Amino acid sequence: MFCRLLSVVGRQRTSPGWQNWSSARNSMSAAEARSVALPTQAQVVICGGGIMGTSVAYHLSKMGWKDIVLLEQGRLAAGSTRFCAGILSTARHLTIEQKMADYSNKLYHQLEQETGIQTGYTRTGSVFLAQTQDRLISLKRINSRLNVIGIPSEIISPKKVAELHHLLNVHDLVGAMHVPEDAVVSSADVALALASAASQNGVQIYDQTSVLHVMVKKGQVTGVETDKGQIECQYFVNCAGQWAYELGLSNEEPISIPLHACEHFYLLTRPLETPLQSSTPTIVDADGRIYIRNWQGGILSGGFEKNPKPIFTEGKNQLEIQNLQEDWDHFEPLLSSLLRRMPELESLEIMKLVNCPETFTPDMRCIMGESPAVQGYFVLAGMNSAGLSFGGGAGKYLAEWMVHGYPSENVWELDLKRFGALQSSRTFLRHRVMEVMPLIYDLKVPRWDFQTGRQLRTSPLYDRLDAQGARWMEKHGFERPKYFVPPDKDLLALEQSKTFYKPDWFDIVESEVKCCKEAVCVIDMSSFTKFEITSTGDQALEVLQYLFSNDLDVPVGHIVHTGMLNEVGGYENDCSIARLSKRSFFMISPTDQQVHCWAWLKKHMPKDSNLLLEDVTWKYTALNLIGPRAVDVLSELSYAPMTPDHFPSLFCKYALHVYNEVMNVGQKYGIRNAGYYALRSLRIEKFFAFWGQDINNLTTPLECGRESRVKLEKGMDFIGRDALLQQKQNGVYKRFTMFILDDHDTDLDLWPWWGEPIYRNGQYVGKTTSSAYSYSLERHVCLGFVHNFSEDTGEEQVVTADFINRGEYEIDIAGYRFQAKAKLYPVASLFTHKRRKDDMELSDLHGK
Amino acid sequence: MRAGCQHCGRRGARGRVSSGEAARLWLCLRVSLTHPGSRLALLAASRRRTEACACGTGGEGGRGSTGVRGRHRAGLPCAPKGFAPRLDGGAGPRGALLIAPGPRCLGLWLRLPDGVGWFGWPPSSLHPFFPPPSSSPSQPIHRAGARPRPSSAPASPPPPPLMSISALLSMGRCCCRCCCPRGLWMLSAPCCDDRRMCVCPGPRRIGIPVRSSSLPLFSDAMPAPTQLFFPLIRNCELSRIYGTACYCHHKHLCCSSPYISQSRLRYTPHPAYATFCRPKENWWQYTQGRRYASTPQKFYLTPPQVNSILKANEYSFKVPEFDGKNVSSILGFDSNQLPANAPIEDRRSAATCLQTRGMLLGVFDGHAGCACSQAVSERLFYYIAVSLLPHETLLEIENAVESGRALLPILQWHKHPNDYFSKEASKLYFNSLRTYWQELIDLNTGESTDIDVKEALINAFKRLDNDISLEAQVGDPNSFLNYLVLRVAFSGATACVAHVDGVDLHVANTGDSRAMLGVQEEDGSWSAVTLSNDHNAQNERELERLKLEHPKSEAKSVVKQDRLLGLLMPFRAFGDVKFKWSIDLQKRVIESGPDQLNDNEYTKFIPPNYHTPPYLTAEPEVTYHRLRPQDKFLVLATDGLWETMHRQDVVRIVGEYLTGMHHQQPIAVGGYKVTLGQMHGLLTERRTKMSSVFEDQNAATHLIRHAVGNNEFGTVDHERLSKMLSLPEELARMYRDDITIIVVQFNSHVVGAYQNQE
Repeated sequence: MFCRLLSVVGRQRTSPGWQNWSSARNSMSAAEARSVALPTQAQVVICGGGIMGTSVAYHLSKMGWKDIVLLEQGRLAAGSTRFCAGILSTARHLTIEQKMADYSNKLYHQLEQETGIQTGYTRTGSVFLAQTQDRLISLKRINSRLNVIGIPSEIISPKKVAELHHLLNVHDLVGAMHVPEDAVVSSADVALALASAASQNGVQIYDQTSVLHVMVKKGQVTGVETDKGQIECQYFVNCAGQWAYELGLSNEEPISIPLHACEHFYLLTRPLETPLQSSTPTIVDADGRIYIRNWQGGILSGGFEKNPKPIFTEGKNQLEIQNLQEDWDHFEPLLSSLLRRMPELESLEIMKLVNCPETFTPDMRCIMGESPAVQGYFVLAGMNSAGLSFGGGAGKYLAEWMVHGYPSENVWELDLKRFGALQSSRTFLRHRVMEVMPLIYDLKVPRWDFQTGRQLRTSPLYDRLDAQGARWMEKHGFERPKYFVPPDKDLLALEQSKTFYKPDWFDIVESEVKCCKEAVCVIDMSSFTKFEITSTGDQALEVLQYLFSNDLDVPVGHIVHTGMLNEVGGYENDCSIARLSKRSFFMISPTDQQVHCWAWLKKHMPKDSNLLLEDVTWKYTALNLIGPRAVDVLSELSYAPMTPDHFPSLFCKYALHVYNEVMNVGQKYGIRNAGYYALRSLRIEKFFAFWGQDINNLTTPLECGRESRVKLEKGMDFIGRDALLQQKQNGVYKRFTMFILDDHDTDLDLWPWWGEPIYRNGQYVGKTTSSAYSYSLERHVCLGFVHNFSEDTGEEQVVTADFINRGEYEIDIAGYRFQAKAKLYPVASLFTHKRRKDDMELSDLHGK
Repeated sequence: MRAGCQHCGRRGARGRVSSGEAARLWLCLRVSLTHPGSRLALLAASRRRTEACACGTGGEGGRGSTGVRGRHRAGLPCAPKGFAPRLDGGAGPRGALLIAPGPRCLGLWLRLPDGVGWFGWPPSSLHPFFPPPSSSPSQPIHRAGARPRPSSAPASPPPPPLMSISALLSMGRCCCRCCCPRGLWMLSAPCCDDRRMCVCPGPRRIGIPVRSSSLPLFSDAMPAPTQLFFPLIRNCELSRIYGTACYCHHKHLCCSSPYISQSRLRYTPHPAYATFCRPKENWWQYTQGRRYASTPQKFYLTPPQVNSILKANEYSFKVPEFDGKNVSSILGFDSNQLPANAPIEDRRSAATCLQTRGMLLGVFDGHAGCACSQAVSERLFYYIAVSLLPHETLLEIENAVESGRALLPILQWHKHPNDYFSKEASKLYFNSLRTYWQELIDLNTGESTDIDVKEALINAFKRLDNDISLEAQVGDPNSFLNYLVLRVAFSGATACVAHVDGVDLHVANTGDSRAMLGVQEEDGSWSAVTLSNDHNAQNERELERLKLEHPKSEAKSVVKQDRLLGLLMPFRAFGDVKFKWSIDLQKRVIESGPDQLNDNEYTKFIPPNYHTPPYLTAEPEVTYHRLRPQDKFLVLATDGLWETMHRQDVVRIVGEYLTGMHHQQPIAVGGYKVTLGQMHGLLTERRTKMSSVFEDQNAATHLIRHAVGNNEFGTVDHERLSKMLSLPEELARMYRDDITIIVVQFNSHVVGAYQNQE
């Protein structure tokens, strides 16, 4: 097997590029005439011989797993991997993506040395051009984040750009970012190198073998049915690229992997008269929607157009990928853009326009992780045209996930479980990817909302709120009000608020926040995930006590705020649990926990129990009354006594009726609607961490100041208790801290968002996780984690309260550092000194 | 009490109504805005697009220059930028009424010889000003004028024009303007003086011999713009207009020279007119002192303005797909209308039958007002649908009505927002329809036979016409309804209706609208298959039929000058009871009818040689066609289209448009040496070419663009298009008729599948 593979690699190397591909393929298929017997059994079966599949195989084998089979329906490193433009770029918007790309870069760099296979790796660097100030701000933000994770990059002037690349027209530029260590590489060769390395480590690779479907028994992968026979296995990894969606659906119990392919075009030219040097940097002109790299002395240039062409909506087979048509008319805007950027290319001769489909996901982030429905079914796909950049890192994290049970970094943002069943329809995907693909080069401003595929799930009050001027955001398919536009506001202008500075809803949210503090506001929180857990005996309590860190053995009707921890004490879910009766509990979690929490509970509940777990999200409309007069409103509506000490959990039917009543009664207390932006400002100024945003499965309660919500001595063991005990003894290595920006001018300065580096005494100590303007403090408040990196070794050290308090802090927003005061506890504000306990609990319950 | 609108007699117009004359005008303008086909609506639409006037449209326009806003605050409205002088060709003393309607600013722009005048309302607040400040958005209009004013203020500014209320009111619509646009001809035509009446003859379809006419009546009723039009005619523009008028409309009475000489002889300025343009001497000085004809007119509508006018009435319907599959033999249809009359007299309808299979589409060309075409467009499909219903369903519906339960929906309409249904008459219409199905139930005593579509169509047509006639004879206690049914009956409409069910296509035609099938031959070329016969003098068989139906003695008089009884062009039509009822009946109904009817010259007039009525029938000729895969589309259009374009051209243009969307030849580099620059040039060229073709998303709009804008080379000429569309409504009818088009696209796959099944 391996010999044959190497022969392929050798042939590959001799051919100058993809254009000899067809001849190589022919010889391959001739060689393939004889059938190869598949093993009947393996630990892991990986489907997909592209860069993802080979990378997973490589990393798994590196980590010691040997019994691995990799199946490829066509030929190794075909598909998108083959047609990939080969640009490795670390300038990404998410930190986790930056880390993956950085790792990939380092991996590919040494791959040639490791395997002896030429990968064409050339460190060219890349230059990101900014035609507008907004784009420059965006680049500066990336720049400051790249620097703190150790990737060199700098903001340069147009003049410097001209020095780096002599063909460029720089007259319309305001600046650029130079990342010198970015590289270009032949992705197909990288995949082959990874495959050969994996093969050397014992991975068996079979091409021309299609996976028909995955066999599942009792929610566990048992094997794979291929066109050449069955393989029994424990783990299955779906790295099928654009076919991953179909492969997921082919199961008896379908697995939804929401991704969709779009046609993507790039242009190849003949060499220039004075051929471009191989070290010429790659140019990304996002405002012009194009990228340009040198390619064999000529140019390779493609882009992400505004009007993408989705493809394979109905599912097609692999062969058609070879026959995709070039579409020059479609490419025309990009070609114009290219010639504007490099006017001298006019006389350059065209070689080919390549049509290479790329997959995109509904939120422009890749998909990895274990399926919530089937244990042992892993996915790594949907790379949003950055497969080469992510390949190494993503493969590593997935391998760690499989081997250790969780990856070494928090990858929630990429987790398959962030999607629900709603995001899996073909129509939704087709519409959404048409929005996502142009977004790759669009300016990414804070608080972006997708426009397509909306109103998938709505609260029963949707129409009512919409009529009152609600502006909507979407989370996990659920529409939630952002804020309510007063009737006299100019609606048109509000819709187009794309800015890094003070947004135009500032005043609207201010009035909502004020109302929350002085009177009462009602917020529709129906999107929150709600589960009911009941049992016939005491089993429900037992199981929950084991799963949750707080003591749930409370009187009926009480609400407990608690965390669902994992073995290392990290938060798998941060939720509130109400005890409905002796034997039934009601659990409220953040909106995007619907799939993740369900999967976690299912996984950890005893298999043979009589526990009944039910998702009742859609059954309840949740109204949140916030404000000092909330109790007054409620006591007028209910006969139950409303005191801070005894706050009943109330369940009513008829959501609309309740809403109307609340609004009627509340009128005299000045009630009004409020949206999530108001709530967000409130929760951040009160220093409440929110799961998925601030805290994740690598954050323990001790690290975010929630010792009070953990009952270590509640009389029984719970998941993560040991880790917490140990941490309590040793101290924490990071601490959730609140920063109040001192010299930040809200009107004139760039607003913080999240991900801004935090500096303590000039040293980088961590990043912010969320931020908001606090209307009562009249300052910006950022939340984030402070680490204590040793000055000599860079190792993490224990963070004490003292360490936090004795430091001068600065927050870096797009290169500008603002002084900040660090706080470990919320600041009592002018408004809130009369704050009641139940207010606090209520707002806490509903986090972000 | 809501006054009927001056414009079209419609009541219940949208908007607040207060008392007083000012409100009446205001209402009229409001209605004009909302009224389909009105030029004002078109202007409003085009203004919205050009964002011309910040004051008029408020939020819609968006970014008017601050200067405009400033002036608006100062109490003066701004001149709407997009407003063009309305007359074709050389600059005349523009009397064109330019109206800047809007919620916040009501003012009338009157283009006078010397610039733009504005008249506020009510008259006490008249703010004429001359000339508009050069920085204002009224600049284009000023520029468009024959000659820019000297920069220094003239020693004696032109006299501020004053307008009497009656003059202003007469600028508002008179219903009988349909005859006014003829300009010359109308001098001698009897004009109804009741502006709410709309039963006066349309000039083209019904010719009326010259009868006694009274000048005072004429000048009172004639819209002001037409009055202002006369100086133009005097100024050597005459021959040109005359020429174009003849070019456009083949053989019209108006073009024969005796009338012209007559008009010149008869024309004397009337006192009312004199007040309007006081002081008279100055006026003539101005109009004659300039050589309008010599200054080239350069003011055209911009392409977006042209588009907004063309697209104001466009409508597209796509048959929804289920599970990615379309099982209907119809992919969808595009429809559009371009008015020439004001208000437009054409109507269109499209609906899906819900209780039976199939889809109904129809175009209706009204004459002598729009009342009849409106009624037919609302009612005919219900009659057809009921005729097609099986016995059980009819029973079910009848039981539901009986017991007050919810009715089964019969039709799903596909309507443009401008296609309205009259609310007032719905009860009356429903009762007539119910009587019809009750009779159907009684007739068919259970023996469920297959319903023949052809028969159903014929029955429905005849029945509806019968009902229209009966309703007018019986009258209605409600005076408004009574007047409405009379207007419906005394006006007329032709109808061309297609019923598509799977591969079965039935076309029922009454009158001279046409249904044309677009067939793609194997070599890709297009050919036209006519699915209907025109019922007019060009059709030998119709002539034959008419002669057979009447005694030999009438053989010469029944069709004269290619018109029925020398009057009516179509030989079959709905309504037109003047050609159906006996003289006695007509007289009786008119005498007992409301005063408006009684005062009207036209309704009282009995056609000559009227011996053996009825002369007219609404019975359709039904054509059956079994769809084949090569039948790609069906064009239903009123004669406004067919008289400007040859059927072969129509089918070719639509065919190329529809297929062009799918079959643009892709470029491939192949093995040739192509540089990036060359490729870029090529692509840009293709792009501009494409964008001109694909400006229209609607096949009907595309067809109208060609019908109106085609030059002698068969390509759309923007200049021509712009001229044609900027014609004032008074003139538009001289150049073209109302055009209404429905293009139905067939699904060849489904049609093919049907074929294969059998």
